[in-house]
Amino acid sequence: MNRPCNSMEPRVMDDDMLKLAVGDQGPQEEAGQLAKQEGILFKDVLSLQLDFRNILRIDNLWQFENLRKLQLDNNIIEKIEGLENLAHLVWLDLSFNNIETIEGLDTLVNLEDLSLFNNRISKIDSLDALVKLQVLSLGNNRIDNMMNIIYLRRFKCLRTLSLSRNPISEAEDYKMFICAYLPDLVYLDYRRIDDHTKELAEAKHQYSIDELKHRENLMQAQLEDEQARREELEKHKTAFVEHLNGSFLFDSMYAEDSEGNKLSYLPGVGELLETYKDKFVIICVNIFEYGLKQQEKRKTELDTFSECVHEAIQENQEQGKRKIAKFEEKHLSSLSAIREESELPNIEKMILECSADISELFDALMTLEMQLVEQLEETINMFERNIVDMVGVFIENVQSLMAQCRDLESHHHEKLLEISISTLEKIVEGDLDEDLPNDLRALFVDKDTIVNAVGASHDIHLLKIDNREDELVTRINSWCTRLVDKIHKDEIMRNRKRVKEINQYIDHMQSELDNLECGDILD
Amino acid sequence: MEVLREKVEEEEEAEREEAAERAEWARMEKMMRPVEVRKEETTLKQETLRDLEKKLSEIQITVSAELPAFTKDTIDISKLPVSYKTNTPKEEHLLQVADNFSRQYSHLCPDRVPLFLHPLNECEVPKFVSTTLRPTLMPYPELYNWDSCAQFVSDFLTMVPLPDPLKPPSHLYSSTTVLKYQKGNCFDFSTLLCSMLIGSGYDAYCVNGYGSLDLCHMDLTREVCPLTVKPKETIKKEEKVLPKKYTIKPPRDLCSRFEQEQEVKKQQEIRAQEKKRLREEEERLMEAEKAKPDALHGLRVHSWVLVLSGKREVPENFFIDPFTGHSYSTQDEHFLGIESLWNHKNYWINMQDCWNCCKDLIFDLGDPVRWEYMLLGTDKSQLSLTEEDDSGINDEDDVENLGKEDEDKSFDMPHSWVEQIEISPEAFETRCPNGKKVIQYKRAKLEKWAPYLNSNGLVSRLTTYEDLECTNILEIKEWYQNREDMLELKHINKTTDLKTDYFKPGHPQALRVHSYKSMQPEMDRVIEFYETARVDGLIKREETPRTMTEYYQGRPDFLSYRHASFGPRVKKLTLSSAESNPRPIVKITERFFRNPAKPAEEDVAERVFLVAEEHIQLRYHCREDHITASKREFLRRTEVDSKGNKIIMTPDMCISFEVEPMEHTKKLLYQYEAMMNLKREEKLSRHQVWESELEVLEILKLREEEEAAHTLTISIYDTKRNEKSKEYREAMERVMHEEHLRQVETQLDYLAPFLAQLPPGEKLTRWQAVHLKDECLSDFKQRLINKANLIQARFEKETQELQKKQQWYQENQVTLTPEDEDLYLSYCSQAMFRIRILEQRLNRHKELAPLKYLALEEKLYKDPRLGELQKIFA
Repeated sequence: MNRPCNSMEPRVMDDDMLKLAVGDQGPQEEAGQLAKQEGILFKDVLSLQLDFRNILRIDNLWQFENLRKLQLDNNIIEKIEGLENLAHLVWLDLSFNNIETIEGLDTLVNLEDLSLFNNRISKIDSLDALVKLQVLSLGNNRIDNMMNIIYLRRFKCLRTLSLSRNPISEAEDYKMFICAYLPDLVYLDYRRIDDHTKELAEAKHQYSIDELKHRENLMQAQLEDEQARREELEKHKTAFVEHLNGSFLFDSMYAEDSEGNKLSYLPGVGELLETYKDKFVIICVNIFEYGLKQQEKRKTELDTFSECVHEAIQENQEQGKRKIAKFEEKHLSSLSAIREESELPNIEKMILECSADISELFDALMTLEMQLVEQLEETINMFERNIVDMVGVFIENVQSLMAQCRDLESHHHEKLLEISISTLEKIVEGDLDEDLPNDLRALFVDKDTIVNAVGASHDIHLLKIDNREDELVTRINSWCTRLVDKIHKDEIMRNRKRVKEINQYIDHMQSELDNLECGDILD
Repeated sequence: MEVLREKVEEEEEAEREEAAERAEWARMEKMMRPVEVRKEETTLKQETLRDLEKKLSEIQITVSAELPAFTKDTIDISKLPVSYKTNTPKEEHLLQVADNFSRQYSHLCPDRVPLFLHPLNECEVPKFVSTTLRPTLMPYPELYNWDSCAQFVSDFLTMVPLPDPLKPPSHLYSSTTVLKYQKGNCFDFSTLLCSMLIGSGYDAYCVNGYGSLDLCHMDLTREVCPLTVKPKETIKKEEKVLPKKYTIKPPRDLCSRFEQEQEVKKQQEIRAQEKKRLREEEERLMEAEKAKPDALHGLRVHSWVLVLSGKREVPENFFIDPFTGHSYSTQDEHFLGIESLWNHKNYWINMQDCWNCCKDLIFDLGDPVRWEYMLLGTDKSQLSLTEEDDSGINDEDDVENLGKEDEDKSFDMPHSWVEQIEISPEAFETRCPNGKKVIQYKRAKLEKWAPYLNSNGLVSRLTTYEDLECTNILEIKEWYQNREDMLELKHINKTTDLKTDYFKPGHPQALRVHSYKSMQPEMDRVIEFYETARVDGLIKREETPRTMTEYYQGRPDFLSYRHASFGPRVKKLTLSSAESNPRPIVKITERFFRNPAKPAEEDVAERVFLVAEEHIQLRYHCREDHITASKREFLRRTEVDSKGNKIIMTPDMCISFEVEPMEHTKKLLYQYEAMMNLKREEKLSRHQVWESELEVLEILKLREEEEAAHTLTISIYDTKRNEKSKEYREAMERVMHEEHLRQVETQLDYLAPFLAQLPPGEKLTRWQAVHLKDECLSDFKQRLINKANLIQARFEKETQELQKKQQWYQENQVTLTPEDEDLYLSYCSQAMFRIRILEQRLNRHKELAPLKYLALEEKLYKDPRLGELQKIFA
């Protein structure tokens, strides 16, 4: 137990306790009065201190969304929980508690400083999410395996570590081991690691570290490879021609085709299949390359379009800004003139002038916006036409290529049929030289069976090709519609936002003027 | 013009004629004369003209004769090497060839002037001009390029006009002599320059030809000073970007095109008129500046340098005038004709007509029709293949062979008789004779000095005038070098009285430019800084009597601009020090760059502190997709509510406009905190402004001090000027010397004085050896004791003196002035120091003395001369 007075009742983190703490630790003096007047929302609190309160269970903290610093030290917490919502937390102090395992920290990605001093932790893990961790305090715990240090190698920002008064710190090699395995560490157990120690440690553990590094590098390379492959596939998918740069489609055609596979053992079919496959793959690759090219083309088209639209909007905004700046300059001077004017009729006249100015500005801004809307609409329509055309051409060409595939398939089918029938004839006549597998021989019972078998194989193949084609066409079409929809929607959103902005600004100006008026009249 | 000149002539004559005693009469007559002359003028025009021409030429010759170049009596020829005084057989042979060539030439072209082939040198020996060229590559990297070479020659030598402006000189001195005396005529100039250029790899030639009056007299008064010419701004043509596929169409233009056209037409008309007016004005000015026609135009002999294209990446042929060091195109109208040209290998005569100056000349030296060469086969200079094809060349070769005599064929130009051209580093640095040169340009005067000549580091000064007579100064530019305050250029505009100082990087206050009218604080001034050298990233600070504006760059707080305006100073009645009465700040405006780490609606773009009104205005940055920016205004009024409580914060104290209203900013607490923050910032900003003011004062003070001191820096590599390194070097030498002395001392023979008592050359007996040893040791012992006594005596003396002084102090303590007391105290401490040192030395001596004694004894045992001793003890 950490506390001498362990007989005290554990307390619950309830609303009252939190409110009290927030109030106590919130702003003081004048600001405090204001805070009391208005009340403080939990989500505005940035730091919270809840120490020496005999808390057993962390609870009710979900409202503190923006909390940066949380101190829960010197309690009797046994389990880390209830911190999931505190994603902005930078500093977490859980020292002097009764925690046994590290857990429940997976959402705290911004955490930089974590103190778990004086707990009952025996293993360092579950810290993977804390990529920004700089300071880790694990002193006075029960960590007894040196291999825990290797786990810490993944924290690239870790500079300060304290592990004193753990079983491992008894080991004579403790310091050297840590220095060697965590070369970026600057402070260990509250002391700066001098360069000399670092060198010594490095020299001592060089071999094992090199080995470790080698393994890490291999792992890294593997990961990168995987990543690259995935990216490549993703790229192909966006071009809608994934898996067409090889024999994938061909293989899939024969994957579910038991008859076809059986028939391939027929004499002469092997060669036939080989040439068929070669030709088929060539067409597939053609489709693939064409798809990539088209994708590139679509992308440049889209880029040009968005660039132009962006430029147009920027230009328009610049104009608007200039107008507003000009107006503001004039408006400010006229406002001060009104303030200084004392004659009531004059004031009224000037105020009228001012509001005329405001409405003029409104008109100007709205005209600009309407003009932009018209211009953009035209451009968007043009783009839509072009992109739809492009997609159409792409689909057409792919379809023709697919038709070539089908032709090949039919050709192959005819040849296969021919061979099958001749084989059947041979079998019937009994002068077949080669041995055939039994299941294949079973097909050669009569003409219908064999024709059906060959036909079924052909059907499966055609189906596969059709499916692939359909998939491509549907996907590209849906992409196209989605793109166009999005562009339209974005434009509408933009327009609404701008109109709202202009209105808001004009309203503000007008109300400012009105206030001035009221004030003057009151005076 | 002629008439005018004649008038002058007559006047002079009259003056000479009239005796001094009849001065008054003379003056009257002089006033009468011109009238008479004018009357005669019409009738005698032809005659007078002819007469005048004759007279003019006469006078010019006599004048030139009176202006001798350095004559041979001033040259000490006794120390010149033999090659200067005699000709080698090869040279004699060459001279014969040249004479032969000259004879043929005068026979073939009787109407042309004789060739300039072998003038006499300083030893009255005829030397061929090509051998006078001595190609030399100078050891200074600055002299590798033609422009710096030409500039050096023009700076280094003083120009002396030709004795006869219509003839080439009779003497051509060696470049070494010319360099020694630092003056020469145009032939000397171009010979030196040509030697240097050929040495550094250019295809350069000396030219003997005809130049304009300005060129021959190095008269630059009609030239625009190259330093005043502003580099022409290259107007970048805006590349018309091809409209992209989806570029939006511009809104329909609803203006009348006809009206536009009319407007353009009108504008053009106005512009044309303006242009015409300007042109007329310019023409008028040009008229005024135009030179008087020169009677000897086209006859004045000049020599310059021709550089042909091809070598050293020279793209096209050009001339260099050695007097000024400027380059001219071969079409330039200053160059009126070429007689001949030569380099160190050959000599060419121009066979082309020069009626149109040098504009039509073709510098294809391989073409024998245009250029008659003297020596065959030495340097067949380039034959431009662009003009003639191969067959043409062959034909020409035949012609050449026919036309030349056999003896010429295998003749090489002998080696130059001139010694190696050397320029000492001092001379190179001093450049101009006596390190000073003045050049008069059109409406400008340029003065040059050698570095370190002026104590304030001034190296050149350009004075620009408003008028041609150079009376009204327009502006002065002064360049400095090696200044400790890094001052580089001082620019004084006389019309506006604005002074601008430019600094190189390295000023203690990181100054870059300082422009001001007066050095008084709180006046108009602009100071620019090297912002990277400053912690606060200040680029520029502008001051007027009432405002101060600062521009920043690269600050972590993204501040870019701060403007402070001041109110009139409050007169303080109390006579406190003037410094602590800063002007009250009325308004501070600060602008910030966009801080990419913050969202735009929280990133302040501009904040204005209206200090007097307790008013703070904030303007935020505009978000990328917005056209309006948030604004906030704080009013700080300390008011009391009805119950007498202080109102901390009310909603009307903060007026804000938010583009996208946020919830938390509505809270009073937030506003209160923001306001408190701003209050603090305001205080800080005010402090900053105040510090800036102080800094200006400091800078002004520093500048004044620097101006007064104007110390120059001396490079540590400059062994001549650097006193410190000199001292160090001398000290090192001294130390070495002492070391040497000490070594000699250690080798002193300690036995010598004792051995001298004995008869020389005899071997010592044992008794003698023992005796000698004892004597030596006892003597040494005595010396040690003496030394100890000496130290002791000194110690006692010091102590006594100190005691005496102390006693004196005790007695007079009351009457002493503070200075005396100080003196006494310092004496005491010094005396104590001396005493302590003496004590230490005595102790040390006491310690060491026995050791030394033993060491000597040991040494004596081992001494070979006292070998007898060893025998016994061994």
